[in-house]
Amino acid sequence: MESQSKLIVALTSQVGRKYLTGITGVLLVIFIIGHLLGNLQLLDSDPERFNAYAKSLHDFGLLLYIIEIALAGVILLHAFIGIAIFMRKLKARKHGYKVSGQKQGGNGKQSLASRSMIYTGIVLLIFLVVHIAQFRFGPAKETVINNEPAMDLHALVMETFSNIWWVIFYVGVMVLIGFHLRHGIWSALQSLGAMKPRWSKAIHGAALIIGLLLAIGFLVLPIIIYVRQV
Amino acid sequence: MSDSILNARIPEGRLEDKWQNFLDSCKLVNPNNKRKHTIIVVGTGLAGASSAASLAELGYNVKAFCIQDSARRAHSIAAQGGINAAKNYHDDGDTVWRLFYDTIKGGDYRAREANVYRLAQISNNIIDQSVAQGVPFAREYGGLLANRSFGGAQVSRTFYARGQTGQQLLLGAYQALSKMVDAGKVEMLPRQEMLDLVVIEGKARGIITRNLVTGEYERHVADAVLLCTGGYGNVFYLSTNAKNSNVTAAWRCYKRGAYFANPCYTQIHPTCIPVSGDYQSKLTLMSESLRNDGRVWVPKNADDKRPPNQIPESDRDYYLERRYPSFGNLVPRDVASRNAKHVVDDGRGVGARGVAVYLDFADSINRLGVDAISARYGNLFDMYERITGENPYEKPMRIYPAVHYTMGGLWVDYHLMSTIPGLFVLGEANFSDHGANRLGASALMQGLSDGYFVISHTLGDYIANNSFPDVSDSNEAFAEVESESSQRIEKLLSIQGERTVLEFHRDLGKIMWDNVGMSRNREGLGSAISEIQKLRDEFWQNLKVPGQATTYNKNLEFAGRVADFLELGELMAKDALHREESCGGHFREEYQTEEGEALRNDEEFTYVAAWEYSDLNGESTLHKENLEFERVAPSQRSYK
Amino acid sequence: MKLSLKIWRQEGPDKEGRLVRYQVEANPHMSFLEMIDVLNEQLIKAGEDPVEFDHDCREGICGSCNMVINGVPHGPLRGTAACQLHMRHYKDGDTIVIEPWLARGFPIIKDLVVDRSAFDRIIAAGGYVSVDTGSAPDANAIPIEKVKSDTAFDYATCIGCGACVAACPNASASLFTASKIAHLALLPQGDAERKTRVVRMVDQMEKEGFGDCSNHGACEVVCPKEIPIDAIAFMRREYMKAVLS
Repeated sequence: MESQSKLIVALTSQVGRKYLTGITGVLLVIFIIGHLLGNLQLLDSDPERFNAYAKSLHDFGLLLYIIEIALAGVILLHAFIGIAIFMRKLKARKHGYKVSGQKQGGNGKQSLASRSMIYTGIVLLIFLVVHIAQFRFGPAKETVINNEPAMDLHALVMETFSNIWWVIFYVGVMVLIGFHLRHGIWSALQSLGAMKPRWSKAIHGAALIIGLLLAIGFLVLPIIIYVRQV
Repeated sequence: MSDSILNARIPEGRLEDKWQNFLDSCKLVNPNNKRKHTIIVVGTGLAGASSAASLAELGYNVKAFCIQDSARRAHSIAAQGGINAAKNYHDDGDTVWRLFYDTIKGGDYRAREANVYRLAQISNNIIDQSVAQGVPFAREYGGLLANRSFGGAQVSRTFYARGQTGQQLLLGAYQALSKMVDAGKVEMLPRQEMLDLVVIEGKARGIITRNLVTGEYERHVADAVLLCTGGYGNVFYLSTNAKNSNVTAAWRCYKRGAYFANPCYTQIHPTCIPVSGDYQSKLTLMSESLRNDGRVWVPKNADDKRPPNQIPESDRDYYLERRYPSFGNLVPRDVASRNAKHVVDDGRGVGARGVAVYLDFADSINRLGVDAISARYGNLFDMYERITGENPYEKPMRIYPAVHYTMGGLWVDYHLMSTIPGLFVLGEANFSDHGANRLGASALMQGLSDGYFVISHTLGDYIANNSFPDVSDSNEAFAEVESESSQRIEKLLSIQGERTVLEFHRDLGKIMWDNVGMSRNREGLGSAISEIQKLRDEFWQNLKVPGQATTYNKNLEFAGRVADFLELGELMAKDALHREESCGGHFREEYQTEEGEALRNDEEFTYVAAWEYSDLNGESTLHKENLEFERVAPSQRSYK
Repeated sequence: MKLSLKIWRQEGPDKEGRLVRYQVEANPHMSFLEMIDVLNEQLIKAGEDPVEFDHDCREGICGSCNMVINGVPHGPLRGTAACQLHMRHYKDGDTIVIEPWLARGFPIIKDLVVDRSAFDRIIAAGGYVSVDTGSAPDANAIPIEKVKSDTAFDYATCIGCGACVAACPNASASLFTASKIAHLALLPQGDAERKTRVVRMVDQMEKEGFGDCSNHGACEVVCPKEIPIDAIAFMRREYMKAVLS
């Protein structure tokens, strides 16, 4: 009992909050990597490949719901703490400096990405609502795979990304994801205390590369799909 | 002048046994009674922070005061070189005796034997205590503590923490203090300036302070007051002291009856970055260790204005190596400083203002390589370049002596008690251990020895031997002293003349530096006294202090301090005038050997000059504490 | 060289502040603080109140000076406190904006002077080794690996100036707090209390109203002693180890 309350106190402390942000962040990065790998099947000329993949997920049944709810929980927790940290920051410095500047040799690990986490995060949260409504609960047609009824998600995606405005919207959001990940991946590891002085630079660099790859992976999809249909 | 003999209360017994004899026989305070006593500690440098922490650990209630915004900022933080201890970890022949002997000799036989011996004995405990606090002294690869030889000592007894030994020791003491704040035994009052001492029935019973944020006066009652307020080098305006370092607390105590001892003993450090212009606000010390590998020189001819690299060897005068073949560039601080002054007075100074000498690393770089020099002095070279904009790897450094430390201070007996019962004085603020010249790496040692290991016993003895009738802060004496303090502040603000505090301070500094600085003579000292008196009169008629007394007002703080410096400066000149000999940092041109070295007069001046305040217009009264050297025979220092 | 200054003037803690423009004639060899000394002399002579600012050692070790110069704590040079910054880094005609540290944990007292006592309270919440005077073993009784001792030293060099808080977009005091935690935890002397220390100090840091650390790393860039934010990662490890064991 006592150790439980100790854990709660610990996790609600400044250090604990960042731990939770870090852990949820890492989980989300893992999810995103899986999501991207799955989505890349959209590039296969056979629509059935992607639909079969989607079906295999749906076939998890109850388990899928549990995973989805857990995922939603992770996202909400991540967002909630992020917003709470932002609110504390507003209190911690009521008025900002009148001018901003830079040390010689640059501002180190601080970047547009790090300063805009709250904004990119909020956009991502809104995006998620749209994205889920569009594809998870969207108007997918029926199709048949291996003699079983399935959803034709492939067609839904193709249709969506034949509209240039959706393509622009998605590409824009994916750029923001890139920013969020650029700081987020490095930050998560720093938050989890995984940093050793020797690794610090390498991890900060690796975060840039991973963030870039994921963002590119996601944003080329709608573009390729659009171009192929023109 | 009277010649009353002061009683230093030195314990009986052989030199080696005195401290133990004291500990064996001093009175103790019952542990349950300690909490009934409140002790005031003014200043939170090494001496202040360490004594406040130690006394609180013993159970006393401690109130600690500092003028900075945090106890951690006291000027001890700026000490670079190191701290001596007779640990003999390297078996190079060091002993307590040798540390004692070097310190007595280095002080030119003007320090009290018993105090210095105790200091050497305690030195080892300081290292143990600091390491246990987490002070990260330099270590060897085997994990044990490293030492270096410092200030020309023939043994390696200096413990160091990069170039930040003072910082690390102070943070150790500050953390010990914080621990007792945490325990509720120390009440820490930062941004409070002690303006005066309250003496009741002949005993120090409290202080008046001014809250530097609100301007309010506060009365603090105690059973004893510990003054740990550092030295008065800022009387010279330009010194390596921090800007807030001042004499006010000590001076106020002097005016309440504490004697001021050897005020003229000032240490001028030879390796500082020279003044670059009139706007100069303070001077920066470059560690003495630079002289291990740097060679000091000036051009042979006064009219040689070539850049240093174009002056051939044959036209250079390596004057320290020439005059002192065996010690060369490593002669003690006072000798090195004086010689720099000679060559500059000779017109052979270098740099734009002609008031500097070269400290050249070219030979060492050729011999050892840039990497080796950079490993030894990299951060010092960087600091030099940051301040001067010149690269010392390519161009010799320019250095010049600057005021660094004051050996004089309030007179204390062996118990560190002043002539006012209950007023104890620790660290640089007292006069006790360094005689006429302080050795490198000894200041930190003394501050911590006084604070951690001496005061807890001697204060206990005082508390146990005295009774303390109840005194409240509504006592008449408090009201009176507070009103004097506030009137003084009001007076400073009301003059509204033409000249600023800074201008007066600068003028005073110039008088002091020119006449009471590295070398002094009868005529100069006489004129300094009358010039200071004139300046002081002008100060009280023509000072302009902006702002109010009820808000944060740094100019007002400084005005009060400069007012006191204007009185101290005169006493320093008087003391220097009366001491008709040269010893350590006090060099009287009339008293020198044929080779131009300091010439002591042991017959007549083997005493501590302790001055008693009478009033500003009257003569201060001189009291003497005769120094008896039972164990070492004073000899002429020679570094040839 | 002629400079235009815009300096934050605020009469007291609860008063409104604003940037006020001044002209000053500086010399390239002056330190930044000496340049303000010159301005202050000018102001006093003109019957105005001088600019209040904290300063003491003027050689970069006491940690008193605190100025945000053109948006950067301690000005443009790395590893440098404002007092060690010299005017040769500016040129004739430059405009320099000078503001105080801004953070809820550091309330403004007057002009550029702020109250940093929160830092003292963080240290008093366990930022020490509980060893009473006289109880220490011989200094060489415990050998310490040189590399470890040197690393501890790197963290111990903190001068408590508060630039880390001033630069942090969140006004977090994590680098200050973590430096002390790392310094003491790396040494065997600090080992016995390492768990209570980290928990109490982190707790105190929060109570003082400093923001959370979001790993911007702005602090390590402005730190005059260039303490890296690895200290903060270290603190987090220490904290979790302390709570979970």
